[in-house]
Amino acid sequence: MTISKNSRRDFLKSSGSVMGASWLGITMPLILSASQTAIKNKQAGASFKNISIEESVELSALVDQIIPPDETPGASEIGVVYFIDVAFGGFMSDNAPAFRLGLDELRQKVQSAYPDINRFSELTLEQQTEILKSAEDTPLFGMLHFLTLCGMFCLPSYAGNRENAGWNLIGFDHRHAWQPPFGYYDAAVHSQITAEGDKHEQV
Amino acid sequence: MSRSKGLPKYNTREEVDFVIIGSGAAGGVLAKELSTNGFSVVVLEQGPYRTAADFKHDELDVIFNDQLLNHPGWNDPQTFRRFETETAVQMQGDPPPAYYARGVGGSSVHFTANYWRFHQSDFKERSLLGPMEGTGFADWPISYEELEPYYSRVEWECGVSGQPGPFEAPRSRPYPVPPMPVKSSGVLFEKGARAMGLNPQPAPLAILSKPLNGRPACVNCGFCMGFGCEVNAKSSTLASMIPLAEATGRCEIRPLSTVFRVETNDAGRVTEVVYLDSSGQQQAQKAKAVIISANGAETPRLLFLSESSRSPNGLANSSGIVGKYLMGNGHSVTQAAFEHQLNEYKGVQVTRIVHDFYENDPVRGFYGGGGMDARPFLDSTPILHALTGLPPGKPTWGPEYKQMLRHYFTRKMSVLGSTTSVPLARNNITLDPNLKDDKGRPAIRMTYMDHADDLAMATFLQDRAVEILGAAGATEIWRDPVEGGTVQAHLLGTCRMGDDPATSVVDKYHRAHDVPNLFICDGSSFVSSGRGQPTMTIQALAFRAAEHITDFARNGEI
Repeated sequence: MTISKNSRRDFLKSSGSVMGASWLGITMPLILSASQTAIKNKQAGASFKNISIEESVELSALVDQIIPPDETPGASEIGVVYFIDVAFGGFMSDNAPAFRLGLDELRQKVQSAYPDINRFSELTLEQQTEILKSAEDTPLFGMLHFLTLCGMFCLPSYAGNRENAGWNLIGFDHRHAWQPPFGYYDAAVHSQITAEGDKHEQV
Repeated sequence: MSRSKGLPKYNTREEVDFVIIGSGAAGGVLAKELSTNGFSVVVLEQGPYRTAADFKHDELDVIFNDQLLNHPGWNDPQTFRRFETETAVQMQGDPPPAYYARGVGGSSVHFTANYWRFHQSDFKERSLLGPMEGTGFADWPISYEELEPYYSRVEWECGVSGQPGPFEAPRSRPYPVPPMPVKSSGVLFEKGARAMGLNPQPAPLAILSKPLNGRPACVNCGFCMGFGCEVNAKSSTLASMIPLAEATGRCEIRPLSTVFRVETNDAGRVTEVVYLDSSGQQQAQKAKAVIISANGAETPRLLFLSESSRSPNGLANSSGIVGKYLMGNGHSVTQAAFEHQLNEYKGVQVTRIVHDFYENDPVRGFYGGGGMDARPFLDSTPILHALTGLPPGKPTWGPEYKQMLRHYFTRKMSVLGSTTSVPLARNNITLDPNLKDDKGRPAIRMTYMDHADDLAMATFLQDRAVEILGAAGATEIWRDPVEGGTVQAHLLGTCRMGDDPATSVVDKYHRAHDVPNLFICDGSSFVSSGRGQPTMTIQALAFRAAEHITDFARNGEI
């Protein structure tokens, strides 16, 4: 995997662990993300309704562990955190308390492993990966994994899959009508059918 | 689709000729046939009246939030257990054990539309093969030849695309429209099957390849399995039958009407159907006769709910076998990846099938038969693919996972094996003794564990699938585990037909042995399971039942 040098993740990685807890009780990455959130909110014309800014920062880091940015955007840039916000206001609302409990437990896990650090999002990427590996069997991870994939590949009207970036990643071209050939292996069959059809028409 | 003007509004306190409970594969056909034949018909459907304009390519809502499945008015849970010795539990977060769509058109709206006729043997395997101890293995009271004209009617009137295959039984008419255009999965499956000496054929589908009966051809959008069709090319009863029923001016569809009791009088005849309307108000529609076409889970549930002092074990259940012999068809799934892009997300699910293993073969060492097909299966939509479509034993998150998503989505296909289900009394639908829905109706309780022969047949087909995919040049092949089903979309056999009232619920005309003016016609009528694609036969039975019920009504024999 190649990570672009200018990606936000690299910057967070280099700045976050250096800064540690800041004077306002929030961390540099948090401020950074909050301001980015504000920009995105402005772009999206909407703000989070069901999660806090702090939660959104944690979630950004978590969902980017599941689908990280490389030469293409990661989950947070694709809008997964916005999707999760929408989900907790709707079909996942019953799960919100369990989700917050899971976030608390994760924070405790982070703090016991790294006493100087408060939040998952303050860890280096490598530390984040290690922590998350040890949490793979938790309900929180299960929920996050599911929500990340839903947010990656849902209709963009759910605030995820921004500008079809999730679909573009996997090669899903969303149209309402297709004509054969559909793929590599049926192309020859269909070109033969077309040729025979042309021949018939000539006769 | 525009609804006809001048639709009737029947008074609930005046008898209509027929109340039909359920508007799905069978109910939709019966509504169209009986209203066309001049009878007044009220159809009670628990789901909403959606039309093509309401259907969306919304995987999240349709597949994960069960948009087409949920009861629209209230929570209606189900419970599941494998064996009767276990306590059934509600499977949290899983699809409901009895998996069916609610809405006008029923599950024909969301089905995948594989439309295989049964073979002659399906109706008489007990005679051909001898008894199977401890099972309900039995012949049907009707033959393929008796049902054949109605298979042809399904193909022409509902609309089935296809081309006769090498193993099928004699037919009286060709298919009305040719097969759907072959996909890469079909080409690869055909290539591999031919290399193995098998006889692949185009798949018959209830999806139009050309315009028919005023309906348009499929546009290959790819959202078939689990979704409603946005262009009415899928031959649901919503698209094919219901508009014709309403056009007669004699058929009233009442959506959002949940039936909870069929009332009988002292003479043992059905008098009215009690239901909750869209506002939750209790209503009762009087009728000269009632037809239950509510599916193989809801139909026995309703019969149990309609118990009375005369029939304490449930209406039409003097035999004690209502709900028993549930058959769901066994399945095996084999996944494969190829070097180049298949783009299976485009087009219908299935374009090629293999029926070489359809018939029972004693050499295999177990009872059963099955069919195979090539399809994207869960790789047709992105979220399902991401959750289920990648090779086992690999990361499920992180950079490598992302790279795999990028690679596999367009390069995947599956081969499905679909098998017989041995009819067993221990596999059944009953009322859960504890759990109720929001309106106090006992929940559906499913007890189900496939017979060992069913699992052996599914594994046999999976072995063949691995060979075929290998011969087709797959770069990777992996098997989904073959195990007992916990979710059944094919709900068959729970009110089986037969000549003997002691061992069947309805006679060969779908009339309840116990109740002269009650008919039951849906998947519950099946005596054997076929090889995994039951809806074609459900609809042929419905056309046939409608003809006989019409004669009975005209002759004063109901």
